[in-house]
Amino acid sequence: MEANQTAVLIVLIVITIDAVLLASLIILKGIHRRRMLGHEKRRAGYMTLLAHHLTYPDSTEPIGRKTAEDPAFLDAVIDLRNAVAGPEIDTLARIIGRYGMAGAQARRLRSRFPLGRRLRAAVALAEMGDESSAESLMEFLGDREPEVRIQCARGLGRMRWTPAIDAIVDRFNVETPWVRSRFTSTLVGFGPKATWPLIAYIRVNHRFESAGPSAAIRALGVIGDTQAGPPLIEILEEAKDPEIQIAAIEALGAVGGPLALKTLIREFDSDDWRLRAKAATAIGDIGDPLAIPTLAAGLEDTDWWVRRNSAAALTRLPGGQWALYDALASKDRYAQDAAAEALADAGELIAARSREKSGTATARDQALLSHMTPEYSMTGS
Amino acid sequence: MSRTLRILVADDAETITTLLMTSLELKGYEVVTARNGIEAHEFGMNEEFDLVILDQLMPGLSGLEVIRKWHDEGIDVPVIMLSGVDDEKTVVDSLDLGAVDFVRKPFRLPELMARIRQRLRTVESDGTEQQADDKNGSAGR
Repeated sequence: MEANQTAVLIVLIVITIDAVLLASLIILKGIHRRRMLGHEKRRAGYMTLLAHHLTYPDSTEPIGRKTAEDPAFLDAVIDLRNAVAGPEIDTLARIIGRYGMAGAQARRLRSRFPLGRRLRAAVALAEMGDESSAESLMEFLGDREPEVRIQCARGLGRMRWTPAIDAIVDRFNVETPWVRSRFTSTLVGFGPKATWPLIAYIRVNHRFESAGPSAAIRALGVIGDTQAGPPLIEILEEAKDPEIQIAAIEALGAVGGPLALKTLIREFDSDDWRLRAKAATAIGDIGDPLAIPTLAAGLEDTDWWVRRNSAAALTRLPGGQWALYDALASKDRYAQDAAAEALADAGELIAARSREKSGTATARDQALLSHMTPEYSMTGS
Repeated sequence: MSRTLRILVADDAETITTLLMTSLELKGYEVVTARNGIEAHEFGMNEEFDLVILDQLMPGLSGLEVIRKWHDEGIDVPVIMLSGVDDEKTVVDSLDLGAVDFVRKPFRLPELMARIRQRLRTVESDGTEQQADDKNGSAGR
């Protein structure tokens, strides 16, 4: 009897605790929802106020310090900062400066607040892109939290703060691949201004490091500054690490130029099939028909990737397709396959079938058709 | 007495609609906003506008699809296309379908406002000519 009573009591206690927890959760959710709705409502109101200032930059419509301290106002400023260009950015910068909005976020970033609040401050600074916060962002490029570091770099990139280029590049060796890839995107945003700091970093580090210099080399490829050509060639010739060599080959393909082409053609003599395969693609990126004989020879390479990439590159070169058609008659069966597949990928097979149907197929069409559809050569025209 | 010119602003980004609505209302225009392509299409079918500012990428129907539908349904209204997509094809397609102008996002507000004013001047002068034609017509009767 007593045991039953105890069991009932325990069940009642559990149910009561559950009910209290559920009620608290519902209340907290309700409070959060109300706060969010209030935030959104205020943000919309601030948006209208700011739109007034953007329409009439000399507007005397009051903003007020209390408004400027409201997170909803900060969101409205950031949203508009991303929606407009030109003189409106200056108007928003004046508002940010007048009310010390960047300074307030920099103080949050410097505080001992939990990560979430510090990260929000870093994102706000990055989005505002206000030059007054550049020093704070530079300071926190070395923050203990990776996301904070990423946001700081992004902010500096958005404001095109050139002193940040060296500081970001200097961190390449100590960063994780994820942070490094985000830093690379930021550096690419600086354009050719980042070329020489990146080259200087690669020259010093490529003998001792792999991941950092490779990321820097890839950034040079994306920037595409032709000035990077000769230093990239020098790095490719000096480097022993295949990861760096591969990155340099890819970057040379993007940067281009006659010197790059000569160097890439030389890479076809490499013992490493990865370098030969990358060189074929990079030559295709440059698109110079002078490389046709090299790529045609690449069709007979011992490695499948080199044959495939050479064939694909030939479809991108003016006149390269003729070399592929010639390869259909090669004694090397693998070269024939690589050429036929690349021609098919380029739409030549469909075109040949259509001409075949209309009775206007050429000898080249018939060669491709007979290679891709073996039954064709048996029943063929 | 000249009537208030009506503008439809269709964009799924609230920032853009609020900014344009406030700016245009401050300049004395009547503004209606739509948050997606379907809403924009409905507004165009049921109400008359002197100008439409249409975002290219919207949920429901894209800006291009909205123009195409209006075109098929005989709705003739000048459209300024807004787009964050910076490819030539979108620009060409928009203009081919009858958009009168194309503005890339993020935009410069004074420049967009100048383009809107220029378009509306054309609308107003067409209206004045129409009124004059009507007047002459009735005078002749």
